[in-house]
Amino acid sequence: MIRIEPEPWAAMVAHARASYPNECCGAMLGAIEDDGKTVRQAIALENAFEGAQAARYELRPADLLAADKAARERRMDVIGIYHSHPDCDAYFSATDLQNSCPWYSFVVLSIQKGEFHHANCFLPNFDQTEAPKEELFY
Amino acid sequence: MAKILIPTPLRQFTAKQDSVTVPGATVGEVLAALTTEYPDLRKQIFTEEGKLRSFVNVYLNDEDIRYIGKDAAPAADGDTLSLVPSIAGGTH
Ligand SMILES: [Zn+2]
Repeated sequence: MIRIEPEPWAAMVAHARASYPNECCGAMLGAIEDDGKTVRQAIALENAFEGAQAARYELRPADLLAADKAARERRMDVIGIYHSHPDCDAYFSATDLQNSCPWYSFVVLSIQKGEFHHANCFLPNFDQTEAPKEELFY
Repeated sequence: MAKILIPTPLRQFTAKQDSVTVPGATVGEVLAALTTEYPDLRKQIFTEEGKLRSFVNVYLNDEDIRYIGKDAAPAADGDTLSLVPSIAGGTH
């Protein structure tokens, strides 16, 4: 179970809308507690995919490292990654799965015609063969 | 001796420590010492053939080890190693 607080949620939606018709991506910072995960801050990261970004995103590892440092300084942890699907539903695609990492929760925001539509969260497995849904509250 | 920053989801394999200091004169030795001390971490980072998993990047301070000699990159006292995943995706 993952809960996104209102402030980071608003930042994620704003980032996804501003990036439309391209995909956006970023890191979610917060804490993992006994009763679930809580996202307290979202950090927008640059989509580093070289080529058309309407249907692709890529995180630069150096940017993720910087986000991890920022999290540690704020006594939080990187607990998830978010990205948007412009004019597509919030599923976990084959490309998402093949380039995922089992260490994090993956939130996908569906942006339809420039507006937020719905979101889902996924937990990819080790072998990058499956990503079951994680219950998401926002 | 180098410090390794442990990503949140891997701390369950390091007795909840967010960083671990282990001996080693090179990046390869440090990673070997880390996974010897915390064997459950091994399959998180390495394949069965002992290669780094495709989604794992190792940074020595702020540098990707692929560009500074990989496993052979020297690790000095006070250096920090980070494990950073490769992440990408798309709609298809
Ligand atoms: Zn996607």
